[in-house]
Amino acid sequence: MVEALLEGLVRVLEPNVLTYMLLGVFLGFWVGILPGLGGTVTLALMLPFVYGMEPVQAFAFLLGMHSVVATTGDLTSILFGIPGEGISAALVLDGHAMAKKGEAGRALGANLMSSLIGALVGAAALAAAIPVVRPLVLTFGAPELFLLAVMGIAFIASLSGRGARGLARGVAAGALGLLVSSVGQDPQAGILRYTFGQLYLWGGIDLVPAVVGLFAIPEILDLMVRRTSIATTMPAGRLTGVWDGVKDCFRHLGLTLRCSLIGTFIGIMPGLGGGVAQWVSYGHAVQSARTAEERARFGQGDVRGLLGPSAANNSKEGGALIPTVAFGVPGSSAMAVLLGGFFLTGLVPGPDMLSRHLPVTYSMVWTLVLANVVTVALCFPLLPYLARLTTIRATRLVPFLMLLVFLGAYTANNSWGDVLAAVAFGALGYAMVSFGWPRAPLVLGLVLGDIAERYLWISVARYGWDWLGRPAVVVLMALTVAVLVVPLLQEWRERRSGAVLREAAHAE
Amino acid sequence: MRFSARVLLAALVCVAVALGAFAQAPFAGKTVTVLVGNPPGGGYDRLARVLARHLGRHLPGSPTVVVQNMPGAAGIVAANHLYNVARPDGLTLGLFNQNMVFGQLLGVEGLRVDMRRWQWIGSLTRETDVFAVRAELPYRHILDLRRADPPVAVGATAPGSGSYDFPLVLKAFLRLNLRIVSGYPGRSDIMLAIERKELDGVAGSWSSMTSFAQRGLVRVLVKTPSDNPDLGSVPSDVDLVAEPTAKAVLQLHAVPNRIGRPLVAPPGAPAELVRLYREAFRRLAEDAAFRQEAERLGFEVVYTPGEACLRIVEEVLASPPAVVRVFKSFFRFGE
Repeated sequence: MVEALLEGLVRVLEPNVLTYMLLGVFLGFWVGILPGLGGTVTLALMLPFVYGMEPVQAFAFLLGMHSVVATTGDLTSILFGIPGEGISAALVLDGHAMAKKGEAGRALGANLMSSLIGALVGAAALAAAIPVVRPLVLTFGAPELFLLAVMGIAFIASLSGRGARGLARGVAAGALGLLVSSVGQDPQAGILRYTFGQLYLWGGIDLVPAVVGLFAIPEILDLMVRRTSIATTMPAGRLTGVWDGVKDCFRHLGLTLRCSLIGTFIGIMPGLGGGVAQWVSYGHAVQSARTAEERARFGQGDVRGLLGPSAANNSKEGGALIPTVAFGVPGSSAMAVLLGGFFLTGLVPGPDMLSRHLPVTYSMVWTLVLANVVTVALCFPLLPYLARLTTIRATRLVPFLMLLVFLGAYTANNSWGDVLAAVAFGALGYAMVSFGWPRAPLVLGLVLGDIAERYLWISVARYGWDWLGRPAVVVLMALTVAVLVVPLLQEWRERRSGAVLREAAHAE
Repeated sequence: MRFSARVLLAALVCVAVALGAFAQAPFAGKTVTVLVGNPPGGGYDRLARVLARHLGRHLPGSPTVVVQNMPGAAGIVAANHLYNVARPDGLTLGLFNQNMVFGQLLGVEGLRVDMRRWQWIGSLTRETDVFAVRAELPYRHILDLRRADPPVAVGATAPGSGSYDFPLVLKAFLRLNLRIVSGYPGRSDIMLAIERKELDGVAGSWSSMTSFAQRGLVRVLVKTPSDNPDLGSVPSDVDLVAEPTAKAVLQLHAVPNRIGRPLVAPPGAPAELVRLYREAFRRLAEDAAFRQEAERLGFEVVYTPGEACLRIVEEVLASPPAVVRVFKSFFRFGE
């Protein structure tokens, strides 16, 4: 195995392979930055070019491109509050809040560093998991996937505001998200739900216009009203602080590593999708705050709210490769395109990739590692310039941002319906911000509702009630209860200690 | 003798060059867009991109061919757009869900297209639907599944998809003991569920299942009528039923496979360009580079001329009402 690992490295370092990888990185960099031009579309565009390449070259090219998109897509989320990719939306919450506080440099530094750590952890997990991949993936059937989705939804409790009122609002927003996720042709009986005779709604609400509307449009409206630059305050007159961000990453290394592992794990599970990883790790990051007061700071620009999702976003790529390589079943649409790359280069994904073609599989691991290192190294010198974008006056910036928003919403499916949906979600998002309702639970509900519904149905249809007794299901249920109870318990304990303090003060 | 041969050759070259220059006019410097009703990553998208790479070479003037995805409502959004909205200048073509003719047959709301009025360019690939079970199960022949106990759990994505309709109709007409579990996000999730023994069976196109059958995960038990040599020993569903209506319904179900995955031009597109496209398709079918690339991607390259596609569509829409009634009770139009 070690031999195969080294052989994989040697193959990736061959000059002609390395060149293809760098070419992929270069293309992916721009695709990631431009909202709307998605990673999947670009992969599909580039697929024909791998015809005639050696497998190792082809995957260096395709994976090099793909792994960069996840990193550079984060940049626009942080700088402008506009998710460059559907999968980068969770970074808007704290990442962009930091940019508004004048800490864009720090946010970008933290983002790049945690992306790198995430990618390395993901690649390491991929390499380490190869011998146990098959049993691991096969343990998670429909009931377990249902429970994973439920556990994700349970994070709503920690993403909500403080107190009974905050919790009620969080739950209501989450429920709205679940409701929105049920729009479209239902997968069991083919009934059209909430489609109001509109063909556009048959396929349900796409995540990209929803998050672009919810997060980007309120930011732009706010910027127009304020008429200042994005960064309103500038700490000590300087904007860089890139190194502060890098240090943040190591200050919260435990969190970064945990979120990387969460991302890898979610990536491994086919059928959970790319949007899930970052929101669940955001939930986890919030939950890792010790006091309710600390939790309240999330969304206002807490660096931990940025580290979690950006690490998970990159680590999931390593994980998502696993089902594609080991079973020939792609975990995402990008991986489906990659599967085409397998066939074009004459490889058959499946158990053979873990034995006979192991060096090729390991060359993919190494590509993930190298491509991320190269990206981060290339991006670092650019960060101070990028951060300066947040000091541009609103009147100059807004038209450009508007263009990005609507382009981003439109090009996801080339559909005008998506533009309208983005505007509608924009109005909703603006109202939610104005009245102090949390938006993250809504997105969580939207992302996970469909998954939970599908797998609950399948579990019952396939196993009746028996699925409730499966060992992994029981463990996941216990974890779900923990996710729900911990923040409530925290709050209760604080209130009690607060009450004790007040009593003590009273006694004096 | 040698001299005259040379003159002849020179004359031929002159004629060819002149013809080339004349024929170059229609597409020179133009861009042809292939509108795909499915998202990137699937079979239709992959096919469109292979076509885009090779089609231009066979059109006079070698235009650039690009693919544009417009997914939604099982391809209806894209079809409506091309039929009613896009400029019919012959530079935008469509590649849609091959089942769309059923949308018209079943009167699906929202489909604003008359399938008979498309200008059919032709199809270069063909699909055969198969039904397969996990190889380790003891069933060797499709009719063994009548006695299956417990029922064989068959995975499906949603009603209206081939993964749902085909087992449904097999269950009814061949009286198989199947239980359809619907709701999987995609074909790949179903294959994984088979691997972890959550499911026992799956229906789908042969190209999507070839690799799994080859590595011994599933065994193919029945197919729609097809002369694909890979499936020579597999019985076809139509041969297994005797009752005429059942036979007719199964035959109707297999129609999209006969049409293949055709390219269409909107009704108003210039006839001359359509003729050139059809010509290019005919030549593409014999183009070794195209064939090799498409076959590597799992497509079965079989040429069906546009005229044949149109005839099949007309045939479907003229089905006897009794057959349509039974068909309607089994099939929905969906992804």
